[in-house]
Amino acid sequence: MASTATERAPRRFPPRGKSVVEPYRVTPKLALRVAILGGILLAIFAALFLRLWALQVLAGQKYIDQAQANSFRTLSVPAPRGLILDRNNVPLVTNTPSTAIQLWPSDLPKVYADRYAELVHLAQVSRVPLYEISRGIKQRLQSGDLVTPVTVRESASDLMVSYLAEHASEFPGVGTGRAYLRHYPYQDLASQVLGYVGAISQSQLNHLGPGYGANDQIGQTGVEAAFDRYLRGVSGAAKLHVDNLNRPLGGVQLTALPKPGNTVRLTLDVKLQQAAEKALAYGIRLAQGNGEWAARGGAIVALDPRDGSILAMASSPTYKPSVYSGRVTTRALAAQGLTPKTAPAKNYPALNRAMQATYPPGSVFKPVTALAAMQAHIVSPYAYLPCTGTYQSPNDKSHQVFHNWDPNVNQPMDLPTALAYSCDTYFYQLGDRFWSLPKDRGQPLQQWATTFGFGKLTGSDVGPEVPGLVPTIGWKIRHFTTALDRLWKPGDSIHLAIGQGDLLVTPLQMTRFYALLANGGKLVTPHLLLDVEDSNGNPVPLPPPPQPESVGVDPAALQIVRQGLLEGTHLPIGTSYPVFGQFPVSIAGKTGTAEKVVTLPGFIGVKNQSWWCGYGPTDKPTIVVCAMIENGGHGGTAAAPAAAQVFGAYFHFKVNQATSTHSD
Amino acid sequence: MLEYAGSQRAGLERNRDDGLALGSVLRSLDWLLVAGVVGLVVVGLWAISGVTEFDVAGDPQHYLQRQIVYVVVGGLALLVGVLVDPDMYRRYWRPIFIGTIGLIAIVLVVGRAARGSTRWIDVGFFTFQPSEFGKLLFVLAIAGYITEHAHGASTAPTTLRTLGLGAIPVVLVFAQPDLGTALVYIAALVAMLFICGTPWKQLAVLGSVGVLAVVVVLWAGPAVGVNFLQPYQKSRLTCFVHPSKCTVDARYNLEQSIAAVGAGQFHGRGPKNATQTRLNFLPEHGTDFVFASYSEQRGFIGASLLLALYLLVLWRGLRIVTVARDLYSAIVAGGIVVALLFQIFVNVGMTMGIAPITGIPLPFVSVGGSSMIANLAAMGVLLAIHARGRGSRLSRRR
Repeated sequence: MASTATERAPRRFPPRGKSVVEPYRVTPKLALRVAILGGILLAIFAALFLRLWALQVLAGQKYIDQAQANSFRTLSVPAPRGLILDRNNVPLVTNTPSTAIQLWPSDLPKVYADRYAELVHLAQVSRVPLYEISRGIKQRLQSGDLVTPVTVRESASDLMVSYLAEHASEFPGVGTGRAYLRHYPYQDLASQVLGYVGAISQSQLNHLGPGYGANDQIGQTGVEAAFDRYLRGVSGAAKLHVDNLNRPLGGVQLTALPKPGNTVRLTLDVKLQQAAEKALAYGIRLAQGNGEWAARGGAIVALDPRDGSILAMASSPTYKPSVYSGRVTTRALAAQGLTPKTAPAKNYPALNRAMQATYPPGSVFKPVTALAAMQAHIVSPYAYLPCTGTYQSPNDKSHQVFHNWDPNVNQPMDLPTALAYSCDTYFYQLGDRFWSLPKDRGQPLQQWATTFGFGKLTGSDVGPEVPGLVPTIGWKIRHFTTALDRLWKPGDSIHLAIGQGDLLVTPLQMTRFYALLANGGKLVTPHLLLDVEDSNGNPVPLPPPPQPESVGVDPAALQIVRQGLLEGTHLPIGTSYPVFGQFPVSIAGKTGTAEKVVTLPGFIGVKNQSWWCGYGPTDKPTIVVCAMIENGGHGGTAAAPAAAQVFGAYFHFKVNQATSTHSD
Repeated sequence: MLEYAGSQRAGLERNRDDGLALGSVLRSLDWLLVAGVVGLVVVGLWAISGVTEFDVAGDPQHYLQRQIVYVVVGGLALLVGVLVDPDMYRRYWRPIFIGTIGLIAIVLVVGRAARGSTRWIDVGFFTFQPSEFGKLLFVLAIAGYITEHAHGASTAPTTLRTLGLGAIPVVLVFAQPDLGTALVYIAALVAMLFICGTPWKQLAVLGSVGVLAVVVVLWAGPAVGVNFLQPYQKSRLTCFVHPSKCTVDARYNLEQSIAAVGAGQFHGRGPKNATQTRLNFLPEHGTDFVFASYSEQRGFIGASLLLALYLLVLWRGLRIVTVARDLYSAIVAGGIVVALLFQIFVNVGMTMGIAPITGIPLPFVSVGGSSMIANLAAMGVLLAIHARGRGSRLSRRR
């Protein structure tokens, strides 16, 4: 059969090839090549077997661990932040729990189009703009941290949470976590002092170092920032078993309990703080009623002169720190004047005017001049100097005329009376005497001002604060360029003597100085921290509070100044007699009206900064109050009545609001 | 010499012979090879039943059932392969070659028309993947060319022409783009030249050119700004050498795969506890990474069994090269064996991080009909060569 087929070859289809009829033998050559192939085969299988053995038998445990770690997600369990209480345990800042939407960038789809679609969908669901989400992811990837999730939204509504849970498979890499939001029972009360909490920035993360994570919320300003180390607590950890689409397989297992933050008790008194803020608003209203249209802000500080604890610190205008809780939007911030664009129109509400803004002090500075003059022995306190309507310095080559606030006065005065009456021309003469001192006597006025804490930071435990400026001969040389400007002229000393010229102080510095007058010559360090308790109510050890330090001022000189301040409120010639003359508690104090060139929308010119500083009760002072109304006119008309309200609240009686006076 | 195809009369004869032939063919089979193939298919189905158990919710046997259908169809293809005299392919190598190219080209055209790249044609119940069948057809056709032109020892022009001819399907498959399968074709082509007796000198030149090509494609080309490969292709190829330098995707797959293999340990974790597979951390665990998934579930014991079966089949395949009746059969057997070896090494090696990442299915195991049917058909051709080879009953009857 096979052979017959071969014979019919010519008629066959397909035609036969030649090779098939050739005898084929296994040549040594082929045998060699097959052997080579066999060798390759064995080598390859040896490699595969060895590798398999190495992976499965030798290193198997390692990969078991890896496979198990694969399906476990480590979650950070946030610790509730500590409460902030006032000195009487009234809560100023608390927490409300919320659910946050989180995103693990490494679990997002690997394909760009899928990833993009998921993020667009997530943006729609969470109502967070896409660019914000992608910015968060980009920052996290740049930091190289792939474990910590990105918080998409701090406060998610129940609807969002349930939608994400139901559509978990459409959102690989997205999950929810517990979060705590700051809650402010008193809304905008003391907002600049308390500060707010926000997501840690990359630079803060680099700066703060260990103990801080990429997803942390930290205090950004004020008390929240200053005492963040007490308030923040320690985050816990939890494990969650998930599949590759991030769908949870079972519940969350806590591996480390979160440690709640400590409770911080402040020296503030809520009632006094409320009174101070109300008084500030009242003072601004008074000023506006007097035609001071530019009076739109101010500050009041109340301090315990015995230890420097801050009882109230009000700054106006203010804002609601709750805009920083949960999802922070530029629109909400702008509405409150918290963005650079809208801040001027709202008169910078984020600014704590008590310690972050400087003003010329005017006459409230005169006690400094008085003390310095007595210490330098250039004035005899009970000797009489003429108090006139104008003053011209014999040393002044430009023959400038310096005006008294009262152009019609003409009588001799001793130092207490000059303080009480706030006679400018009396202090001009002291300024002139300071100027005339020989070089080797130095600059006693500036030296004493510095000793009393002006021109430098107060060292308060809560910031931020600014140092202000005490002008000196050296400062003028450093600061100015022309020879004429650099020269320390008689006018510089004369202006400085009444708290004008280049002098700039913060209300807190001024309060601190009046505390020194009140406590008999000791400089206190203003502070807000009373004590700290852990979550179980046990006290947390703190560094000892800063002690008041004596500055070495002559008690007799101090007594003369105190006499002047007492006369200022108790003698009919005193500038704040109409406000404090009939006060049930003896208050001593000083008005100030400081001229300042201000630039306002549509106005550039001189406006008076209204000041009043004082303390009470005069025999044993327990409170110092400084009030400052920006562009508020005369000290007696705006600041003094405002300060009186604070004393009223402190001593628990109602102050007649009608009293005010038109004087320096 | 036996013929099954011929004129009408011969056809009649053939029909008469068939009974005899079938019996003789069955008696002259390489039963060790048959056992190896059956073992592979059974282990493969066992692997698929575990690997895909949780892939379709509520239907744990979704893929297994389909795979069994493919095995049945593949078994029929194997039978046909056994019964057809390989000399048929030699005589018809031209239409086979053109048909292969045509099929691959159709995919390319259809894929382009669909504005994407596909490797298969959807024919309703089954997605037909020509490049899988192409592996066998390519070997059958190129072996025919070589046999026609090389009588014992190839001359350099013949070798060059063979390479040129082989390059056509290689380039087409590469353009799909299916780099892995293109490499399989190249491996088979080189193996066939090797078996047909191409002089060492030519092989050395060929080897040098190959090394040069790899250097140019992977390193020199990109250095001067000419990219022959897509960045992802290049990254996948070189990833296993420098895991730290590869893209996130490639590294992810590789790490998950190695973790899956390693986590299997000696005894395996079983389908229920094999989290890498069950929780989908291991991508493509039914197809490209099936070995990793199988190793995770069945451990070193299961993986060794599978590798041992491959070794058995390949050993028998190499032996068939030596018993082949003629040069054509020997070349075909060599091409089939080396293509199989190459696929096994690249796929298994890839899952363990010792071979580049390419989308090559694991023969007899990966889910997929085209691969299973084509590989069983190739085994049929091997068995046919053995049955008609020297020393077999069928050839003795001559």
